[in-house]
Amino acid sequence: MGEADRVEPGAGGVGRVVAALGLGAVLLLAGCGKDDGAGVRSQGSASGSGTGSGTGSGLAGQDLSGTTNDQLVLKAVADYKTWVVAEVDGLVADTAKFTDAVRAGDVAEAKKQYAPSRVRWERIEPIAGLVEEIDGAVDARVDDFEGVDDPAFTGWHRLEYHLWEKGSTAGTKTFADRLDKDLATLDQKMKGLEFPPAAVALGPAELIEEVSEGKITGEEDRYSHTDLSDFAANVDGSRKLFELLTPSLQAKDATLTSEITAGFAAVDKSLSEYANPDGSFDLYTALQAVDKTRMQAELADLSEKLARIPGVLGLKG
Amino acid sequence: MRGDHPTGARPARLGRRAFLGSAALGSAALGAAALAGCTSDEASGQGPGRRVPFLGDHQPGIDTPAAHFGLLAAFNLVSEDRARLARSLRDLTDEARALMEARPPERRDTAYPPAETGMLGPGGRTDGLAVTLSVGASLFDDRFGLAGRQPTELVRMPFLSNDRLDPAQTHGDLLLSLSADQPDVLLHALRQLMRRTRDNLVLHWMLDGYNRPDAAPVPGRTDNRNLLGFKDGTANLDITDKGLMDELIWVGADDGEPAWAVGGSYQAVRIIRMFVEFWDRTPLNEQQKIIGRDKASGAPLGQDRESDDPGYGDDPAGRRVPLDAHIRMANPRTAGTAGSRILRRGFNFSRGFDNAGRLDQGLAFVSYQRSLSKGFLAVQARLKGEPLEEYILPVGGGFFFALPGVTSEDAWLGQQLLA
Repeated sequence: MGEADRVEPGAGGVGRVVAALGLGAVLLLAGCGKDDGAGVRSQGSASGSGTGSGTGSGLAGQDLSGTTNDQLVLKAVADYKTWVVAEVDGLVADTAKFTDAVRAGDVAEAKKQYAPSRVRWERIEPIAGLVEEIDGAVDARVDDFEGVDDPAFTGWHRLEYHLWEKGSTAGTKTFADRLDKDLATLDQKMKGLEFPPAAVALGPAELIEEVSEGKITGEEDRYSHTDLSDFAANVDGSRKLFELLTPSLQAKDATLTSEITAGFAAVDKSLSEYANPDGSFDLYTALQAVDKTRMQAELADLSEKLARIPGVLGLKG
Repeated sequence: MRGDHPTGARPARLGRRAFLGSAALGSAALGAAALAGCTSDEASGQGPGRRVPFLGDHQPGIDTPAAHFGLLAAFNLVSEDRARLARSLRDLTDEARALMEARPPERRDTAYPPAETGMLGPGGRTDGLAVTLSVGASLFDDRFGLAGRQPTELVRMPFLSNDRLDPAQTHGDLLLSLSADQPDVLLHALRQLMRRTRDNLVLHWMLDGYNRPDAAPVPGRTDNRNLLGFKDGTANLDITDKGLMDELIWVGADDGEPAWAVGGSYQAVRIIRMFVEFWDRTPLNEQQKIIGRDKASGAPLGQDRESDDPGYGDDPAGRRVPLDAHIRMANPRTAGTAGSRILRRGFNFSRGFDNAGRLDQGLAFVSYQRSLSKGFLAVQARLKGEPLEEYILPVGGGFFFALPGVTSEDAWLGQQLLA
């Protein structure tokens, strides 16, 4: 994400919340922006990064104070953390293949490793956004900066720009090193991060919002056009959360649970048209207008239903 | 016809007033309000409590009093499943009715997203909201098995004289036409309607704008003006004349149309850009000759009052009102052209500026008629080549068919079409 994240440097946590998607923005506008719900900010949530380099995902801007005593939900939260920590371990390794290729000056190999290196990041993006400053450093898009030459423009998309637009790795070693370093920090901090139940409940909708906001528009990976890979990873991450929450959801709202299941199936079917046997996806430029339109509707409908999860789970702030 | 035009904007013509109908507020609105169970305050036809009745042989928003703001939103359907189309139409019907009747929203725990936007505050304002649902020609292609049920004249709008139709703002499977006295009511309604139908309806284009409807409408006069600065609505149809509506607006049982279409109306929508900077540089004398009316008073050239007849009979050479003046071409006021009068329900729009730095302003022309060929297309054909064409450019819109109204509690818009 780095989607909309960057708002006035120095504006602090509140300012950037405005850029957050969906609920976060609504809450703030409604004057109830307690984005630091009990214990969350101290864990590193939506406070200002101070670097002006973009910041957290939508979740980082949301009220995560809601909690529950539902043991099924609490188990889902614990299981989710276990899964995320493992994903971040894999993320560090996947990304090393990418950054090693960059440092070796192997443009072709680096391009090949770019999309795969992002998959695990995109799966856990909202929760990773709770770790201060990481999102803006590793995944901000150029829109968050004055231009591509801004030294604060770092992370995957900076490297993507050099590889696809310049066809060169010249001058990119510092960015490759920085990406590895930032992800190592993420890996370390994630293990100590307390996962708010509300983040787990809001996560499924947040991930689909990511798709609707940046991937389906082709803005996320504008140089490489590998947006559909990110798209699939966001959906996978959303589904993982939903599956973990399903035991509790099923007991409380079986109708909604089956509607969500059907919603994921519809998105999967549409996306499968662009999937390749090796796990990769066609380029965004191959996406047919009619399919894009259908996917937009499927995602929007799924978002409406996923947004009800915190209510069904009865999270109380 | 008064009607002058399709092109909108035309000049002085029609617009709203007439339709506003004069007595409309008095009789029609009152009666309607009473039927809807409104209080006397609501029945006064003014303010946040103004309600337009939802149930009726015809949909609201057509022969109901004009409102200050309008919004058009065209959608395409994602699913090719007829049952899903039916569900979407049921949902649209239910939501439109809830909005127009200010049905209290579902109360939910605060851990849920709220059931409605909250834009209108608690208590439910309606401000004369009317929601009108229309279908485009594309609904009758091979997707839903409706090919045999197409209204006889409903076709994909062709490029007409002077058109430069932009695919991104033209046509659509469905069209929602919203009107109300406050713009927030329209935006609220649009969001609620879309929220109910996200799985199947995808926005194709939309446009919003305003009017200045007359407080006390009188046929033959209006204070409403278009963005060319001319009165717009002077000669519009009187919506309180039910006989006239039956004659010119509503599809009848003997029209040779599918049975489901009776009570509906053909709707022509034209997004007409006006080159207002160019127009503002044009001499007043020329502007008035192009339109055919005095700019300030609205009177036909050579006459004293707005409501005066242009007197074409004793001006066959066009010495007072040029033969190619907009009002004269649009509505020659002859016995032979009386049947081509149309009911106009458009609005002015302004949406920023183009990449040449020119204001993007114009008229969302909307007309309803019993027959497209006898109504809009007849008027449009007469206007072909009019001098006004130099100042305007139709860039979008489409031909649609406004569904018949819903007359019972459990019925839904399009039910007979899909039956």
